[in-house]
Amino acid sequence: MPDSGYPWPIETTRLDNGLRVVVSEDRTAPAIAVNLWYDVGSRHEPAGQTGFAHLFEHLMFEGSVNVAKTEHMKLIQGSGGSLNATTNPDRTNYFETVPAEHLELALWLEADRMGGLVPALTQETLDNQREVVKNERRQRYENVPYGDAWLRLLPLLYPPGHPYHHATIGSMADLNAAGLPTFQAFHETYYAPNNAVLTVVGDTTAAEVFALADKYFGAIPPRADIPAAPDGRTVPTAGRPAVETVTADVPAPRVYVAHRTQPFGTPGYDVATVLATVLGSGRGSRLYQRLADGERIAQPDLVGAYGVDLAHAPAPLIATATARPGVTVERLRDGLAEVVDELSTVPVTAAELDRAKALLSTMWWRQMSTVEGRADTLGRYATQFGDPAKAGERLPGWLAVTAEQIAEQAAELLRTEHDRVTLCYVPEEKTA
Amino acid sequence: MTLITERPGPGAARPYRFPQVVRRAVAGGQVVAAHLPGQSLAVALLLLDAGAGREPVGKEGLGAVLAKALEEGTAQRDATAYALAVEALGTELVTALDWDSFQVSVQVPVDRLSAAVELLAEAVRTPKLDPADVLRVRDDEATALRMDWANPGPRADAVLRGDIFGTDNRWGRPMYGDPVSVAALDVDDVTVFHSEWFIRPGTLVIAGDLDRIDLDALGATAFAGAGGGPVEKGGPVEVPRHDRRRIILVDRPGSVQSTLRLGHPSPHRAHPDHVPMSLAGTVLGGAFTSRLNHLLREVHGYTYGIRGDFASSRRFGRFAISSGVQTAVTAPALVEAVGEVSRTRSEGVTEDELAVARFWRAGQLSVELQTPRAIASALTTLVVHDLPDDYHARLRESLLAADVEQVSAAASAHLHPDSLTLVVEGDAAIIRDELVATGLGEVVDHTP
Repeated sequence: MPDSGYPWPIETTRLDNGLRVVVSEDRTAPAIAVNLWYDVGSRHEPAGQTGFAHLFEHLMFEGSVNVAKTEHMKLIQGSGGSLNATTNPDRTNYFETVPAEHLELALWLEADRMGGLVPALTQETLDNQREVVKNERRQRYENVPYGDAWLRLLPLLYPPGHPYHHATIGSMADLNAAGLPTFQAFHETYYAPNNAVLTVVGDTTAAEVFALADKYFGAIPPRADIPAAPDGRTVPTAGRPAVETVTADVPAPRVYVAHRTQPFGTPGYDVATVLATVLGSGRGSRLYQRLADGERIAQPDLVGAYGVDLAHAPAPLIATATARPGVTVERLRDGLAEVVDELSTVPVTAAELDRAKALLSTMWWRQMSTVEGRADTLGRYATQFGDPAKAGERLPGWLAVTAEQIAEQAAELLRTEHDRVTLCYVPEEKTA
Repeated sequence: MTLITERPGPGAARPYRFPQVVRRAVAGGQVVAAHLPGQSLAVALLLLDAGAGREPVGKEGLGAVLAKALEEGTAQRDATAYALAVEALGTELVTALDWDSFQVSVQVPVDRLSAAVELLAEAVRTPKLDPADVLRVRDDEATALRMDWANPGPRADAVLRGDIFGTDNRWGRPMYGDPVSVAALDVDDVTVFHSEWFIRPGTLVIAGDLDRIDLDALGATAFAGAGGGPVEKGGPVEVPRHDRRRIILVDRPGSVQSTLRLGHPSPHRAHPDHVPMSLAGTVLGGAFTSRLNHLLREVHGYTYGIRGDFASSRRFGRFAISSGVQTAVTAPALVEAVGEVSRTRSEGVTEDELAVARFWRAGQLSVELQTPRAIASALTTLVVHDLPDDYHARLRESLLAADVEQVSAAASAHLHPDSLTLVVEGDAAIIRDELVATGLGEVVDHTP
């Protein structure tokens, strides 16, 4: 394995209007990934406008000055490409992978919706996509057991007013109240070239991409004074644990234990990443060994721990377990808490550490094995850390984590008194 | 503002080439490999003729339970030691099951591939299968299915499958079994299934940088101690279509969405209409821009998404549509979906739509086949369906060559709106009357 996590070339430029362009050439396959990170996410949403960044993402597929409604999808798919977009608390990304000969089409489409969305935005489109998003909320959060766990964890982890306090999907009430002028203003405010990173990875050259980027994006004016999201780096500690118990139509008791750690991209978050892998990835993890295999109180397919990679505030680390039949929520909760607590008292062995690092290495290279995976990674590092080449530091960062650092972090951040959040689901009594 | 108004045309096409395929007979088994020069990860996949189609009726879920039991210790080490050995290589044992095959695979940095294949073979060929472990794994699997079946979808899928294929047949029952069928399995079922199907050599599929991989050594490891020849696979089965359309209502009180599963039987994988039929499916429901998604999502806002497609295995196939729609619009969504199937059957497809479907499906071959896992999966398609090395190149050509007449003819021949089974899983008390009022067909309540 190479020393760097990114052994491919990276070239960057910045257009006069502030658009940063990142190119990584790879001639292996005749495919090209195009990826745009806009530095706007649900953390920018003021009270009463939750869900707007994500609903806006939907509107970006509904046509722009030179692209008719639904034509965007049709043109990309009709070229053999794949496309999508996602919104999270930090940012919104748009991406397509196309056969190499369609690079220019993809850039034209992205430029048209960056520079020319507002004139094409209609009330009809907004109303339609509002319904689509409300159905997305029903399908992913409301109509499935435990589907609202993330919606419940965030306000327990982050106080009112914090940019991560509310979930990206937003509330039905706010979505219903969304008006057209708000979205027109949203685009004018945030969808500016100087608030975006364009990344292109694959069967092309930097020179070609830089020239095409200038041709298609160069005339889009920058925007001065893009408002920053509220600063969430410092979260006042509550100094006490928070516990919420939900009685719902769920098939078995389930417990989540969550803590705030460090922001993604910091050495501290590298520690949290390795710690989460030791704790909850795979059959060799502590949670599996102790709760699924050892005491056999948790269902083996449903134990785990993971960090949520957010960069603008201490990011969450979440551990979860679901009860085997006959196991009470109290027993499961205590068992889960005990394994988390032991991270600071029972030293991580060399074998545990090696196992975690081996799993993380494979995960990293899997992400790097596609042009779209690489493009999204470079866009993230350019947007959040100002330099795409910093992507190469992540894997070495994980591999440098020591057992002592894990114990220290567990002692500092993961103890009950450090604002531990515990969310328990209990099946409701059936009367039938 | 001077955005470029004119849409750019494509540059010179750079044709995709499927990697070179290597086939080799080693130690009583077959190795099929693809060369991915410079790729740092490699995938090894052992393909066994032990798909769900091999499970006896009444023993659904046997393969899934055995898959989990493989990791509960081997002749050489206990479950924990085995897990640690596998994960120390940075991998996990991935098992997958479909109607035609059982697959066990590992994905690792290429220099660890031979160690990973040794562990893979150890679990597949010499699992401990201690009775107490097997029973525990069975109970866990039954619980896992119960958890899964608490979500909308699995019950509706099972009802649809049972109605179109008949529950007397293995293929009329859920591929992974259901909570009841799994709970009824015993230790002998599992050990007998293992000795009958998991000792035969099978095919070892490898995707990776072959300059750094010794295929003969990997084959020798994977096939060591294996024996027994291939077993007759059985020909395509005749599945009669229903002579009328019916709605089957699966009650899910309090559901804020209705889960729709619509379907009827369709041809098996080797049918000569495979390509035009699948393109008809793409136009109707296979892409974001398809008719169903356009109408139900982009025009009406009834759903987050809806899709429909033809799927096929060696012996049978089915056409199906699936979606989740807001409860209040269940009836109109169902009417619109059936209407699009009818329209596609009677009017065929347009050149505009087909152009998108054709180029999308052909282009996806170059866009999707990047990773060792994707290539390994493509190789398993060659093996399971007895296809030649140049299959993917030929597929691309036949996709691009399919014309409106062929695809419209396939839509007409293989879509049967009047034989559809319409399964609706939702809040029956709210939606039943409206479903009756649609006149789409008799409404029958599903009784578990």
